[in-house]
Amino acid sequence: MSLPLRADLFDPASLVALGRIEIVARWIVDGFMSGLHRSPRKGFSVEFAEYRPYQPGDDLRYIDWKIAARSDRWVVRQYEEETNLRASIVLDVSKSMAWSGAQLRAAGLQPNDSRAHSAGDRLTKLAYAERLTAALALLFLRQRDAVGLVRFDDRIRSSVPPRTRNGQWRRIVAALAEPGSGLASSAPNALQQAARLINRRGLIVLISDLLMDMPDIELAMRGLRAAGHDVTVLHVMDPAERELPSSGEALFADSESNLTVPATIADVRAAYKNTVDEVIGEWRTMFASLGIGYEVVSTDAPFGVPLRRAFAARQQQP
Amino acid sequence: MGFLAPLYLLLAGAVAVPLLIHLMRRKTGLRVEFPAARYLARAEKEHSRTLRIRNLLLMLLRVLALLAIAVAAARPVARWLGAGHAPTAIAIVVDNSLSSSAIVGGKPLLDQFKRMASDVLARATSADRVWLVTIDGNVRGGSASVLRDEVARIEPLAGAGDPAAALSRAAGVVRSAGLDAQQIALLTDGQRTEWQHAPQTGTAQLLLFAPGGAPPMNRAVTLAEPRPARWTPSGSIATRVQSRDSTTFRITLGTRTVARGTAAPNEEVVVRTAPPERGWVAGTVELEPDELAGDNVRYFAVWIGPAPGVSVAPSAGPFVKNAVDVLRSTQRIAEGNDISVVTADELTALPSLITAPTDLVRLGAANRALEKAGIPWRFGARRAGASTVRGAGFDGVTVALRYDLVAQAGAVADTLATVGSDAWIVVGPRYVIIASPLTPDATDLPVRASFVPWLGAVLTERLVGEPGQAIAAEPASHIPRPRWADAMEGPDGQRLPLGDVVDVPARAGTYFLTRANRRVGALVVNPSANESVLDRYTANELQALWPAGRAVAARDAAAWFTMAFRGAARRSLVGPALLFALIMIVIEAIAIGTRTRRAA
Repeated sequence: MSLPLRADLFDPASLVALGRIEIVARWIVDGFMSGLHRSPRKGFSVEFAEYRPYQPGDDLRYIDWKIAARSDRWVVRQYEEETNLRASIVLDVSKSMAWSGAQLRAAGLQPNDSRAHSAGDRLTKLAYAERLTAALALLFLRQRDAVGLVRFDDRIRSSVPPRTRNGQWRRIVAALAEPGSGLASSAPNALQQAARLINRRGLIVLISDLLMDMPDIELAMRGLRAAGHDVTVLHVMDPAERELPSSGEALFADSESNLTVPATIADVRAAYKNTVDEVIGEWRTMFASLGIGYEVVSTDAPFGVPLRRAFAARQQQP
Repeated sequence: MGFLAPLYLLLAGAVAVPLLIHLMRRKTGLRVEFPAARYLARAEKEHSRTLRIRNLLLMLLRVLALLAIAVAAARPVARWLGAGHAPTAIAIVVDNSLSSSAIVGGKPLLDQFKRMASDVLARATSADRVWLVTIDGNVRGGSASVLRDEVARIEPLAGAGDPAAALSRAAGVVRSAGLDAQQIALLTDGQRTEWQHAPQTGTAQLLLFAPGGAPPMNRAVTLAEPRPARWTPSGSIATRVQSRDSTTFRITLGTRTVARGTAAPNEEVVVRTAPPERGWVAGTVELEPDELAGDNVRYFAVWIGPAPGVSVAPSAGPFVKNAVDVLRSTQRIAEGNDISVVTADELTALPSLITAPTDLVRLGAANRALEKAGIPWRFGARRAGASTVRGAGFDGVTVALRYDLVAQAGAVADTLATVGSDAWIVVGPRYVIIASPLTPDATDLPVRASFVPWLGAVLTERLVGEPGQAIAAEPASHIPRPRWADAMEGPDGQRLPLGDVVDVPARAGTYFLTRANRRVGALVVNPSANESVLDRYTANELQALWPAGRAVAARDAAAWFTMAFRGAARRSLVGPALLFALIMIVIEAIAIGTRTRRAA
């Protein structure tokens, strides 16, 4: 028996090129689930729901050996889980998210990272985040969790209440296709909206590039935590945001804030990297002080990495 | 500092490039979308001071590098220390005067000068022009190796030399080389009597070395003079010794010692003698050797002969007869016909002391007698009226009657005394003519106290023996040829024919002058007495003799060695400028490399 390739470990840009968002998300989740050799929770539920074909990576404890003996088919028993988890994914669709390092190379600034050859094919932060959102929603739904979606930029663009029913995932995928990419990011309102949609204690996953003011976020997060919600933040960053290109001079402009910074990259490259590390450290410290999970997600990292982080947060729920 | 190609300094305008880059770098036209610009702004804000300093440093390094390259292209030259030197025209003047042969520290000072000169010559490159000049003004040119051999052959002079000529010729040769760097490197003992004035050295820089410390004690014979110049046959030798205390001396005449004695410092000692020698005889006054051996012997020459027989014609007058009698009584002259004292109209033979005729009517006979004797002088118009005589030893003598002395073709004579602008007493070979009768109504000379000594000197020095005299000269000097000599007899007896100018030998001694292979005089070569005074200038005092900035004094031999080829030489700064530019570029590369590594 040969091991199939796990889509959650694919290069994201290569994987996304293979199909639509629903297909890609399924591949991701399937690959991710197959990689879970042992669930930290013994069984998803206690009530039988259906059979499905065995997939490599499935726990052997759930193989129905009788059916296997009778029909020479390997199937896995699946159970209806009784869940009390309500999750809401809050996705930043502001204009800053619609950016990738490929724009720097197009402007003549040579990337410095070892993956420079693929920079031109790199996903924008938004494209990456949308696939990650779809996969994450599917993952939750497969665990019978109620999952919803809030998309925001300078205002709330989409809002899908958390549900577990069939078709919920399609609604979420359809919402992801709605227009967005406004100018600014207004996360506090989106987070409050997500909390309202959950109604009771739940899990809120914020997927954003966090190009926002920290005090506003901190205030909103305090409110969520005070309401008893668990929060996980996936900080999406393009590799070109972590490290500037190797050389060049340009006027770096942020359309969201109308901030323009002239810089000689060689002069500021080291300082910039230090600054980014400091900012990440500040976010991490702030979130840690509130008991909020925080993970930096690079758009060139396989989707399995943030999924694992979110799944770990899910597993911590009762 | 100067530039050989100053137009290349225009390249310095290239420094505007990094300046413009520095000023324009924030005006780039490339605009890129970068959402994390806030991080970039924060990074620049937090590191702006470091970045500004670094950028200014880089700009400064680039500007300096470009400036250094532009300066190097302009071929700068300047005076500064360092290895090597620019092509230099240098004349090394070695003071080999007598005083430089003084023993200092167990060795002659001149040996130190020769070693220093040789060391400097060893540093000469093929691009340099070098000369060696000794203090007598002798210039030697050629390669450095040839001149080093010449240095080894330098001998001390017997005299002071000619410092002015030496420095003037040194200045001339370095100027003629056409090189930009010109230097005269002088090695001297700084003797005060030698450097009383600063000779002209042109525009070349004069590098001076004079030894420090006190000069050695020196004893010297500063006077050795026979008196009178001709002995008939007795005479005396006057001598004087320079020393700090009494000194023994010895006087030789010919090959024998005629006297020994002790002389007090600067005391004139007169030794009388009546030697048996005859003719021109050489003598010396000698001291015991000391640190400066060259002035321990002083030479003299004297003519020695029997007292001449003198006859006085009655027409010469009673005053002359009485004076001759006095001289005979002192045995300076004798009775005889070797020399006659006559009026011109009674002249029959030479040598004679000839006076003007007492009677105007005898004037024609007098001139005919002069012509017959071959004397190229004639008596002219009669002059009456009191006049004053001018001439050595004739102060206060007046003349009331005289005749013009008219020179004939070929007349060559010394004029001993004049009246107004007219000659009154002339001296020629074997004759002395007085333009007045020696009577009280014509002149008061016969009645003066100085008349007898003067008459004695004329009879025993001017008219006795061969015409000629002892001529004193300094070593290596030049004198006109005496008309009564045609050759000079060297110490080895070899006779050298004389030209119009006599090159006085550099070695002290007595050199006899001959005519037709007969000794008729002597050339007595002695150093100047000043050369025996060894008081020195310090290097700084010597430097002060020249206008400010014209001379540089080395404090010691090592400094003189170091400053040779450099003090005046403007060295090329191309190499240092390029090295500086290279250093700036390397530092800039290191700075950029460090920045790049840190950025990576």
